[in-house]
Amino acid sequence: MTTQPVAVSVDGLTKAFGSIRALDGVSLTVGAGEIYGLLGPNGAGKTTLIRSLVGLVTADAGTVTVLGRRLPDRAVLADVGYMPQAPALYADLTVEENVRFFASVHDLDRHAGAQSAVDALEFVDLSSRRHSVVATLSGGMRQRVSLACALVHRPRLLLLDEPTVGVDPQLRAELWQRFTTMSGEGTTIIVSSHVMDEAERCGRLGLVRFGRMLAEGTSAELRRLAGVERLEDAFLVLSESSS
Amino acid sequence: MNGRRAGAISLRILQQFRHDRRTLMLLFVAPIILLGLFYFLTGGGSSLPAVDVVNLDRGPLGAVLAADLGQSTEISVTRTTPSRAAGDLSADTVAAYVVLPPDLSARALSGDVIAPTIHLEGTQPALTQPVLLALDQSVTRASRSLAATEGVRVPVLEPSLDYLHGGPGLDTLDYFGGAFIGLIVFLLVFVVTIIAFLRERSQGTLERLMASPLRRADIVVGYIGGFMVVAAVQAAEVVVFTLYALHVHNQGDVALIVLLTLLMTLVAVNLGIFLSMFATTEFQAVQFIPLAIVPQVLLSGIVFPVATEPGWLQVVSRLLPLTYGVDGLRDVMLKGNGLTSGPLLVDIAVVVAFAVALIGAATATLRRSAS
Repeated sequence: MTTQPVAVSVDGLTKAFGSIRALDGVSLTVGAGEIYGLLGPNGAGKTTLIRSLVGLVTADAGTVTVLGRRLPDRAVLADVGYMPQAPALYADLTVEENVRFFASVHDLDRHAGAQSAVDALEFVDLSSRRHSVVATLSGGMRQRVSLACALVHRPRLLLLDEPTVGVDPQLRAELWQRFTTMSGEGTTIIVSSHVMDEAERCGRLGLVRFGRMLAEGTSAELRRLAGVERLEDAFLVLSESSS
Repeated sequence: MNGRRAGAISLRILQQFRHDRRTLMLLFVAPIILLGLFYFLTGGGSSLPAVDVVNLDRGPLGAVLAADLGQSTEISVTRTTPSRAAGDLSADTVAAYVVLPPDLSARALSGDVIAPTIHLEGTQPALTQPVLLALDQSVTRASRSLAATEGVRVPVLEPSLDYLHGGPGLDTLDYFGGAFIGLIVFLLVFVVTIIAFLRERSQGTLERLMASPLRRADIVVGYIGGFMVVAAVQAAEVVVFTLYALHVHNQGDVALIVLLTLLMTLVAVNLGIFLSMFATTEFQAVQFIPLAIVPQVLLSGIVFPVATEPGWLQVVSRLLPLTYGVDGLRDVMLKGNGLTSGPLLVDIAVVVAFAVALIGAATATLRRSAS
């Protein structure tokens, strides 16, 4: 599928919560340095898929291999950054305290953590607010702090669950530019979204619905497959034809 | 006021109750449990305090009195020898022993006051009253039954009290001070940890930690470390305030008081982490106070001595960590026991065992919570 080394490989992943099949035999391979977009409506299984890549979901069937290690494997998580959908932060700590905490949790020592925190806050354009208590920040700012916490340890694999919700268009564009730069430097990024203009920026896309992978490919490939001009229409067409 | 709008709020509250079975349980089940506990603790079906009776009387009154005490509804009497009785008291298997002196009958016949000696254990004021009451009732009954044959009139009873520990110089605060140190520290640290850990769950940061290289033991040990720093300061403050500002009687080593207090904190931190798994909101966590804490307060022997509880309730008391913490603090502060004392070592060992078991339980809790 790709010529690069494989960063993430998922095979036949199945997970049910009660009677709801959140994942139903999902397989996917993501090469190192790729930006891979997971597209799908709410409840399609994107979040469950991303959570299973950091071992938060124990699969009923199937395997997950991350950076060459078959999960569950706690050690490999030092090289993975995970940004959950809701900004999970310590609201009573400052921005910098949060970022430095997640740096230490990912095995960075004090000095390296402090330097990385400066860089991460620069990345999300929050250096000026580093001494603000998180509880006083707007939703979009918290989202950016959460992103900084996910990438402060310079992970080789970055998992972003709807990272730009509540972020204004200008900053969103800047963040995507930086994601592209990171990808160029070899960081693999898997990002879920239902914003189509973000999807256009991904190298490859996977359309997820009802816990299944409906179609995979670049934006152009998906549009050609569906025989339509816009990615949004391609998504609708491909969803229709498979259900 | 608008009836329909107010009614909408009432209806919504009832709908919320319908969805929150646990709160309903609390409202309807907790009163039954707590009132039931009160019933058993304040006499309904309680065990009687165990009391040894030693009869040295050369006349007839001692035997009749001892037999009548055996029928008492206030205490449970065993007749024994002076040395056995003293042994029982120091081993804490009886609450008191009564010695009926050799001249008991002689003094009663001559119309003199009678002065049996009551040897009290002394650390549990609630156990003194039933013994005095039983003796008073039995003296009246026994002398009346002898009135016809022996000509005994009801004598004036002036028992002399002898305390193994504590004594008449101690006031209520002295008796409860030690137990309260344990209770207050335990309660506060438990509430703070359960809330803190629940916030970690509800704000999603626990999930984030689970997605990091951190191990579950790292999280539990980290929590213990953080809370113990604050708890150590709190323990020092509470002990200093109790001993030097309130002047609560202390017979033992201050370091042992601090040690026991810190061990109680360790138990409370891990109990908080463990129980936080069974709550999804801070509201539910607060509900653990009446359910997990109040029965523990009632059953730990702080106010109602464990020895007078009904047998099955004593078993429950023996399964609660606070019981041992309170007992240990009383051992130190009222009895002046040190690390050479068997009962104190047992208390410390049991509290440590609870702490270790709860650390295990708290760690296992984290495993289950990461779906």
